[in-house]
Amino acid sequence: MALRLTVNGQTHSLDIEADTPLLWVLRDELGLPGTKFGCGAGLCGACTVHLNGQPVRSCSTPVEMAAEGEVITIEGLGRGDRLHALQQAWIDHGVPQCGYCQSGQIMSAAHLLSTNPSPGRDEIVAAMTGNLCRCGTYSRIIAAVESVVAGEKAAQGEA
Amino acid sequence: MAVNRRDFLKVGAGASGSLVLSLSLPGCAGLPTGYEEGTGEWRPDAWLEITRDDRIYFTLARVEMGQGTYTGLTTLIAEELEVAPEAIKPRFAPVADEYKNPLYKLQLTGGSTSLATSWEPLRTAGAEAREMLVRAAAGVWRVNAAECSASDGRVIHPNGIDSMRYGQLVELASKEILRGDVALKPAAEWKYIGKQNRRLDARAKSTGKAVYGIDVSLPDMAYAVVTRSPRYGGKVQSFNGDEVRAMPGVLEVMEIDRGVAIVADRYWRARKAQDALKVQWDFSGALGLSAPEVFETYRKAADEDAGESERSEGDIESVLANADTVVEAEYSQPYLAHATLEPMNATAWYRKDHMEIWAPTQAPDLGRIAAARVTDLAPDEVTINTTFLGGGFGRRLTQDYIEEAAAVAFRIDQPVKVIWSREEDTRHDLYRPAMLHRMKAGLNNGELSGWDHQIVGPQILNWYVRNAGPAQFPWTPKFLYDTLGKVGVWAEGIATPKDISAIEGAIEYPYQVANIDIRHTHIDPGVPITWWRSVGYSHNGFAVETFMDELAHEAGQDAYRFRRRLLENEPRHREVLDRAARLGGWDTPVPEGRARGIALMRSFGTYVAQVVEAGLEDGSIRVYKVAAAVDCGQVVNPAIVVDQIEGGILFGLTAALYGEITLEQGEVQQSNFHDYPLLRQYERPEVEVEIVDSTETPTGVGEPGVPPVIPALGNALFALTGKRQRTLPLKADA
Repeated sequence: MALRLTVNGQTHSLDIEADTPLLWVLRDELGLPGTKFGCGAGLCGACTVHLNGQPVRSCSTPVEMAAEGEVITIEGLGRGDRLHALQQAWIDHGVPQCGYCQSGQIMSAAHLLSTNPSPGRDEIVAAMTGNLCRCGTYSRIIAAVESVVAGEKAAQGEA
Repeated sequence: MAVNRRDFLKVGAGASGSLVLSLSLPGCAGLPTGYEEGTGEWRPDAWLEITRDDRIYFTLARVEMGQGTYTGLTTLIAEELEVAPEAIKPRFAPVADEYKNPLYKLQLTGGSTSLATSWEPLRTAGAEAREMLVRAAAGVWRVNAAECSASDGRVIHPNGIDSMRYGQLVELASKEILRGDVALKPAAEWKYIGKQNRRLDARAKSTGKAVYGIDVSLPDMAYAVVTRSPRYGGKVQSFNGDEVRAMPGVLEVMEIDRGVAIVADRYWRARKAQDALKVQWDFSGALGLSAPEVFETYRKAADEDAGESERSEGDIESVLANADTVVEAEYSQPYLAHATLEPMNATAWYRKDHMEIWAPTQAPDLGRIAAARVTDLAPDEVTINTTFLGGGFGRRLTQDYIEEAAAVAFRIDQPVKVIWSREEDTRHDLYRPAMLHRMKAGLNNGELSGWDHQIVGPQILNWYVRNAGPAQFPWTPKFLYDTLGKVGVWAEGIATPKDISAIEGAIEYPYQVANIDIRHTHIDPGVPITWWRSVGYSHNGFAVETFMDELAHEAGQDAYRFRRRLLENEPRHREVLDRAARLGGWDTPVPEGRARGIALMRSFGTYVAQVVEAGLEDGSIRVYKVAAAVDCGQVVNPAIVVDQIEGGILFGLTAALYGEITLEQGEVQQSNFHDYPLLRQYERPEVEVEIVDSTETPTGVGEPGVPPVIPALGNALFALTGKRQRTLPLKADA
């Protein structure tokens, strides 16, 4: 079955079983391994991508549900070589340890900020609770997200 | 440290005119025999390479699994080489004797040893390379080398104006011969050690570009999944191979030692085919144990066998017989899974008498043995490429996933990647052993007069020697592999280091008591086990520090001061205890509905004390705050120390609140994060970490954050509810 899928702005035509999880299409068919496999059941959030602006768990999203849709992955979050503000904050705050969950963490945070540019602490915690980190980087994640929020506020104050 | 630097520096011309320095990691003169047999000389162990165009490569012999070696070890080289750590490109080491961990004689990363074993050798390597570059420049300028300096990848002329890039000097520098030791920089001149706060791998890991084992991709690569016996030790009897082989995309269905492998052109097709696979198992030699039997077996063993003496001081029997009060308690802890977020996986490619493997492994030389074992290949016909590891925690010291990939790849003509599902990862783990502890202590007028600790459970070495023995002697004929493994166990303490996995954290009991008796009753129910972040300290810490709390309570004393008074001769223990108490507000009023608990443990050379503030909310245990004080000697990267301690605390809290693997007739009952949960963001306590300023040799921080938090939380809950919990995980309604 041929499917059309737009990923990070590029449209692909794929011949693949409709029930294949989007995760494996991204990783193995389109060569975008930044999105990770953690649990296969939507429990850990490592595979989080944006589908039509919504965060989805790509490990349990059949590719047919993404057909004709627009997918953004960690590889397409920044603009060209320019990093997304969250990615820069992740580097500045030294968030990653093993780093395996961080693509999913960043995608969840990016969706939060795209819908709510100035979330409070509780809102950030609630939005990030679906993403597991076995290394325990949770406090640096909060600090990194809050620094982006503070940066946005400062930029708006200047404008 | 007695270091003979002359013996281990070798200089050669590298490829394309680069300066290649090989260096070894010399050992401590005081190491027990067995670590330094033979020549007494340490062989090369790591490689530094500087190219003509100023690229600097550092071959990292200790893998990066989140604990920070990629940054920390690079910082040591950078400090003495006089370049920013960011200017060095680390590369993961191939398997070679040069890269063995001097403490284990195996190329493995574990035991929080990376920084301690690299501290002097890596700085020395950086210093010697710098010295050779300086001398080369001095020769060109015809000036005294001692008047030149190095900075930021350049050698500076005594006039302070002229300079030459390292790259310009590599060819000349390779001809320099050093005689005598090169002095290391005094601490006051350090630019990066103790100050470096950035992680060198943060960018790659924030952009999706870091390559983990699961990300390896090769031309025409196939995917394989393996169906393993649901009960450990079960054997394949028969399976419906023809039916499965006819399914879409399936290339091969084959029996391997560890089960039945399905190879397909796509991962998902292999998984779907697995649903159709029906295997008849022969369970005659398989594990048949159920959860409660484990502890019944342990109790019976403890009754019948008082155990091997591991530490004995004074006369415990008469002291207990004459004590005013004898306090007794039994503690137990369940099996625990590692739950690395990247499931087990490996990629292998067999071509003409050679196999190349890509894998996230903590022990690549053992991976080589695992591959040789299941193929016709010799270990040196197997190349292992190590990737970033999506968590390790001890799980990736065992090479079962490499063994599977090698067995499959050997029988097909294309590269193949084996990926475990989360369910397989949870059910086919090797676990932190379930353990039982019987404690007895005497109190006279509130004074602790005797301490008796019987540890009951298996030891890990018995499970590990299978590949570790042959890895130390890779030239051994394969039919002797199993013998060598057994010799490893027989020779424990003689030819191999004593396995202290069951007793560590108990035998170093730091409190000043005249009569101490510590014994280990060895009993192994046959459930596969291995190292798990902080190993023996994870369970002994809970038993020792909870029982200390019980004794303080029995003696009517404050839990902090009761410990403190018994640490007169242990200043480093006492210092972290005092600091944690202060940081955690031990003597300040606790908010309504909450209580505090304290615990202390030295593990892997690092001292950690913690105060936990906890309460109960809506029928659940809620941890509000953890204050930790750490003494890990000289700090190299303060941010990584804080991260590792905090990460260890969350790892320990996950075990304390949720961790439990149970068996039902030999089958592991847990499968994924719904029934083997990890601590989530909303449960995160506020964590404060204070680091003791120290110039002692640095010690590891990857594991020591874990042990104290489990008893500290239990002690807080006792203070809150008055009910003592002696079994893990802790319950809100105990």
